[in-house]
Amino acid sequence: MKEFMMIFIGANYQEIGLSPEELQNRTGKWFAWGDKMKEQGILKGGEALLPKSKRVAGPQRVISDGPFVESKELIGGYYTVTANDFDEVVKIAEDYPDYDLGGTVEIREIVRFDR
Amino acid sequence: MEQKIVDHLFRHQYGKMVAILTKLFGLTNLEIIEDAVQDTFLKASLKWRNQLPENPEAWLTQAAKNRVIDLLRQLNVQKERIEKTVHGSIAREINEYFLDHEVEDSQLRMIFVACHPSFSQKEQIAFALKSISGFSMNEIAAALLLKEETIKKRLVRARKKIKEVNITLSYPNPEEVQERISGVLHIIYLIFNEGFHSTKQDQLISKDLCGEALRLCKLLLVKENFRTGSTYALFALLCYHSSRLDSKTGNGEIIDLKHQDRSKWYLPLILLGNDALHKAMEFEDRSVYHFEAAIAAEHVKAIKFENTNWKKIIALYQKIYEIMPSDHVLLSMASVYLQINELTQAASALNRINKESLSQRIYLYHGCYAEYYEKAGEVQNALQEIELAIQLCSNQHEQHYLKKKKSRLLKK
Repeated sequence: MKEFMMIFIGANYQEIGLSPEELQNRTGKWFAWGDKMKEQGILKGGEALLPKSKRVAGPQRVISDGPFVESKELIGGYYTVTANDFDEVVKIAEDYPDYDLGGTVEIREIVRFDR
Repeated sequence: MEQKIVDHLFRHQYGKMVAILTKLFGLTNLEIIEDAVQDTFLKASLKWRNQLPENPEAWLTQAAKNRVIDLLRQLNVQKERIEKTVHGSIAREINEYFLDHEVEDSQLRMIFVACHPSFSQKEQIAFALKSISGFSMNEIAAALLLKEETIKKRLVRARKKIKEVNITLSYPNPEEVQERISGVLHIIYLIFNEGFHSTKQDQLISKDLCGEALRLCKLLLVKENFRTGSTYALFALLCYHSSRLDSKTGNGEIIDLKHQDRSKWYLPLILLGNDALHKAMEFEDRSVYHFEAAIAAEHVKAIKFENTNWKKIIALYQKIYEIMPSDHVLLSMASVYLQINELTQAASALNRINKESLSQRIYLYHGCYAEYYEKAGEVQNALQEIELAIQLCSNQHEQHYLKKKKSRLLKK
């Protein structure tokens, strides 16, 4: 088994101005998706991220305040899951609830060293 | 694990929170308050992705309490006037604002603010849907078939008036109560009608409007001062109509009263309507709502369409016309006369109508004429009228219904 990270990009609810009703519906969909993955025993973890950001860069540790990218490129959260290969994760990612809001899922394999 | 959030919890909590916070911080801070409440739901929606809290409602209430403290800081920093300063044991005092009866009281006050006479009717509806019912501007626009920009303008104007006229979160003076209640009832009635006779494609949002109207009306009945015959009668009317909501459409098509599956009418709402109508009769005041509810009751009572007591319904419409002579009432009367094949009576009602006054519902007038000509055996005239009705109708469902009628006529 390998581990993968699904990174959720775009679909910033605040930016889109979703109503309380829509937010509740979205929450329900996310929860159902998470629940499905938990039942399959493949969900390892994950968090939602707030848009506010800071960067530290260079030998001088220069600090700058975000935003650094447009909101449609902003990372809004991630999940880590176990799967055999990319294809399996692609299948899992089909249930991501926010494609209709312009959201994207980027899938990356997590480095694991088997000793 | 069977966890679920109660339907519309966010929307209803939104209205509650805004009302409570407005009582604490004053209407002048409404915009800041609404932003803060919106932010609470945004955070909840992110936080609850993986794990719903044990008790979502309690979680949200606690979040709202925390918001009070945040807002106190925020508003103090901005050195804005706070109508009611919280001092002493802050936590205990905040808790009192969240007691059920206090929440209801705050929401009722908000309803009277929304229906304040300084607002235009359009502003009243927009304000009520936004600040009490928690609809987004986008949702209001979709529900009322208007541009989001238009709704935004109305809300901005309403907020400006709050400051200009110095509207506060208070009940009307005793001598104004009756008049203000009738204003409130009218807005509830309009909101319901927007949903019930919806001219939009999104069925879901139309049903939500009906649900909101019912909820607001029920809220009024909580307080003894606001229990009038009219309030009960309106509640009865909304219950009767709502009982038919699910049988009104099927397979994306409109089903008229004649063809609705009456076994699908929702009995608990009908019983609730009966109770309310009885109560309404115990009061001295009489309103259009009394008679409209009585008409709705007649429809609900008939086991089959053929059993409908049209004579009684006509008599009730005549009563309505006495209180409120309007072309809409004449139109309804004409269609009832057509049901019982009283063609002369139908024609005379139709002839009295100034069709321009029907505005959006003018297509119904032509539809009615089409039916009249059909029954009178004048197929050519009927076709002409149905064609007009199709052209003037903006609702796809209704249009489809009219087109079917047209093709039936063509076969004659």
